[in-house]
Amino acid sequence: MRMEIMAPVGSWESLQAAIQAGADSIYFGVEHLNMRVKSATALTMADIPGIVGRCAEHGIKTYLTLNTTMYDHDRQLISTIISESKKAGVGAIIAADLAVIQECKKQGMSLHISTQANVTNIDTVAFFAPYADLIVLSRELTLKQVKGIIREIKNRNITGPKGELMKIEIFAHGALCMAISGKCYLSLDSNNSSANRGACIQNCRHRYLVTDLDNNKELEIDHEYIMSAKDLCTIDFLDEIAETGVSVLKIEGRGRSADYVYTTVKCYKEAIEAVEDGTYSEEKVSAWKRELSTVFNRGFWDGYYMGRLLGEWSGVSGSQATRKKIYIGRAVKYYPRIGVAEFVLEAGNVAAGDELLLMGPVTGILSQTAETIHVDNGPASQVEKGCNFSIAFNEKVRPGDKLYKLVETEYA
Amino acid sequence: MPKILHYRDKCIGCNICYEIWPVRWRLSRVDGKCTLVNGIAKKGVWQTNISTDEVAINAQVASACPVKVIRIVKN
Repeated sequence: MRMEIMAPVGSWESLQAAIQAGADSIYFGVEHLNMRVKSATALTMADIPGIVGRCAEHGIKTYLTLNTTMYDHDRQLISTIISESKKAGVGAIIAADLAVIQECKKQGMSLHISTQANVTNIDTVAFFAPYADLIVLSRELTLKQVKGIIREIKNRNITGPKGELMKIEIFAHGALCMAISGKCYLSLDSNNSSANRGACIQNCRHRYLVTDLDNNKELEIDHEYIMSAKDLCTIDFLDEIAETGVSVLKIEGRGRSADYVYTTVKCYKEAIEAVEDGTYSEEKVSAWKRELSTVFNRGFWDGYYMGRLLGEWSGVSGSQATRKKIYIGRAVKYYPRIGVAEFVLEAGNVAAGDELLLMGPVTGILSQTAETIHVDNGPASQVEKGCNFSIAFNEKVRPGDKLYKLVETEYA
Repeated sequence: MPKILHYRDKCIGCNICYEIWPVRWRLSRVDGKCTLVNGIAKKGVWQTNISTDEVAINAQVASACPVKVIRIVKN
C-alpha cells in the first residue's frame, strides 16, 4: 500500500497549498491546545467544518492535533473539541495525554498516538492498541527499529479499535529539536513559556557561549549553534523507508508558510510515486533536494533513522533557504476573460522578468514569471509604490491575495 | 485609577496568573483560558480597575504571562 503524505496546516493558505501539492492527508490544531499555538495562524473550532469540507472535496483525510500537556481546567475544552471534530467528520485526533486518549475512546472518536507519547517499542504499541489505530513513533528511532516494530505488529496481529492492523507513522521532513520527542523545558525555564503547551520560544535556535565560571574563560566549541538541530530530510532514502512498511509520512511545519507546504508535499509525493513505479534515482533525489532547499530549512540531515549517535547542528539561527520571498503588494481584481490580475504595489518594486509568488486562503499558491507589466493600459518597466499594475495570470486570482517577489539568497 | 487589560483571545491557559495571584485570576473550566475576576469585556478586551496596592503583583503576573496578553495601565 502506498505511503500516505500528511501535510502540516497552520492556515487556510497552507491548507490550499497542501491540496494543490497532492497531500493525502492533513493535520491541524485549533484553539490553544495544540503544539503550534504561538507560531501558526490561530485556527478555531469554527474552522473545523470548513477545513474538513474542503479536504473532503479532494478526498483528503483530516487529523486534528490535541497533543499539549493537559491540565484539569482543560477537560471541558478537550471534550468539546473532540465532539466538534467527530461531528464535522475529522478522521482522527492526534494525542499523547491519557485524558485525551480516554475521552476519544469514550466518544468513539478515532485516535492516533502523537510522537509526544515517545513510543519506542512494540509493547507500548500493543498497550495503545485498544485505543488507537495509528502510532507516530519517536523521532529518535532508527529505521531498523521502525522495521522491527512493524514486523512484530504483523507477527502478533496487533489491531486497533477498527480491527485493522496497527498503522505506523514517522516524521519524514522538517524541524527536529534537541529534546527527545519534543519534551523540552528550556523555554519554560527561561521565559515561563512552555513548549509543551505550544509556546516554545526556541531557545535552542540561538547562539550561546559556554563560560568556565572558575576562570571566566569562554570554552571553545566546534560550532556556535550547539543546540539547534538541522532539519530532517528523508527524501534520499525514501526507498528504504518504503521497505519498512510505514503507512504515513508526516511533514512537519504548521508554523511554516504555504510555499513551504506546497514544495515539501510536492517533492515527497513525487518521490513516493517514483519509488512505487521504479523510477526513483539519484538524479531525481538531487533535483528534489535542490527544490526543498528553496524553502525554509536549517540545513538538512537524515535524523536518527540511519543509526546516528549524535545530532547534526545547524550553522545559522534561521533559514538556509536558497530563495526568499519579498512582499510587494496585494490583488485588487481579476479579469477572467483576458486572464489578467490587477495588483496594488505596497512595498519594494516589481519589474518584467521577476519571479512572482501569489498566496491566498482560497487561491493557495500560484507562481509565475511577470512576462510584462501593465500600468494604465500600457506596458511599464517600473511601478511606483501605491500604483496599480496588471500581470497576466492563467489561474484565478482573488482580491486580497498577497503577491511576493522571489529572490535568491546568499545560500543559493 | 490603575487598570488591568486582558486580551483573552490569545490566552493559552498556562495557569501561571492563577498561581501568582488567585485573587484576580481564575481558570475557566469551560474553555480552559484564564479569566480576569470582575473583568468587563470592551471590544474583546477584558478589563477592570484595580487599587494601586494591586499593581505590583499584577505587573508580576503580566511579566510571567508567556503570551503577553496581560497589560497593566497605571493611571
